[in-house]
Amino acid sequence: MKITLSINLGGYSFNIDEDAYAELKRYLKNLELHFAGEDSSSEILSDIESRMGELFRARLTSYKQVITMDDVRYAISVLGTPEDISDNEGASAREKFSSRGYHRMYRDPDQRIIGGVCAGMGAYWRIEPWLVRIIFFILAMMGGLGILLYLILWVVIPEAKTTAQKIEMKGEPVNIHNIKDSVKKEFDTVTKKMKL
Amino acid sequence: MDLENTKAQMRKGILEYCILSVLSRNSCYASDIIRELKEAKVIVVEGTLYPLLTRQKNAGLLSYRWEESQQGPPRKYYELTAEGREYLTDLDRSWDELVESVNLIRTR
Repeated sequence: MKITLSINLGGYSFNIDEDAYAELKRYLKNLELHFAGEDSSSEILSDIESRMGELFRARLTSYKQVITMDDVRYAISVLGTPEDISDNEGASAREKFSSRGYHRMYRDPDQRIIGGVCAGMGAYWRIEPWLVRIIFFILAMMGGLGILLYLILWVVIPEAKTTAQKIEMKGEPVNIHNIKDSVKKEFDTVTKKMKL
Repeated sequence: MDLENTKAQMRKGILEYCILSVLSRNSCYASDIIRELKEAKVIVVEGTLYPLLTRQKNAGLLSYRWEESQQGPPRKYYELTAEGREYLTDLDRSWDELVESVNLIRTR
């Protein structure tokens, strides 16, 4: 037995297995990132979603009414991954989508205890966040300087909200491969949380 | 040198030309164009088509209209604009020249 979800893809409505849905969502997210540099990226995506709807529709019969992982994999192989698509666009396009390895300080919402300041500093300097926390704690004990400093940094340092920012926080270059890894990690945690 | 890259570059220019050629006969929706391109083996993954269509539309070579469909949601039908036709005529000419030049070199 499996849980199915109900989705609207390019104007068609489908029942889709939970795991197939996660895969589909990941794929569409990757495409969205791939086309982020285009002028009409949302238009391209909605065209692709319509085509995907057609491909799914053609795989359904009166005996088979649910979109499975196989159907999603089939549609991805027909439409192509962002890598396949950029291969066909030539190397110039491939380079356009990967930027240099920016390294910025962000607050890390995933590892936070209070505001994610120490976790973010730890990620930036590549040290254990607990070391940073201990230093802040000691400073806080000595006349409250640590508390004031923490509050200022909380306001000043932006939170890493997007996947690209989370990669920048760790100082890795932002490209489609890294983003894919991070998005996969995020999905895995979400799936785990759902099961608990 | 990277063979795959060279091939991809060749295909890319040709693909844009082929899309315009398909549309010069009659207006189509994306899946019709894909079928023709696949039969002619000029496209590998379908995802390549959509950004090209959108770029050509933004460049004023194509326009589209929505048409009701019996099988599902409304479809986007693309057609060449006057500018697109002119552009295609230019491309037709340069394609002939290109084939001639390459043949000249290959058969020398």
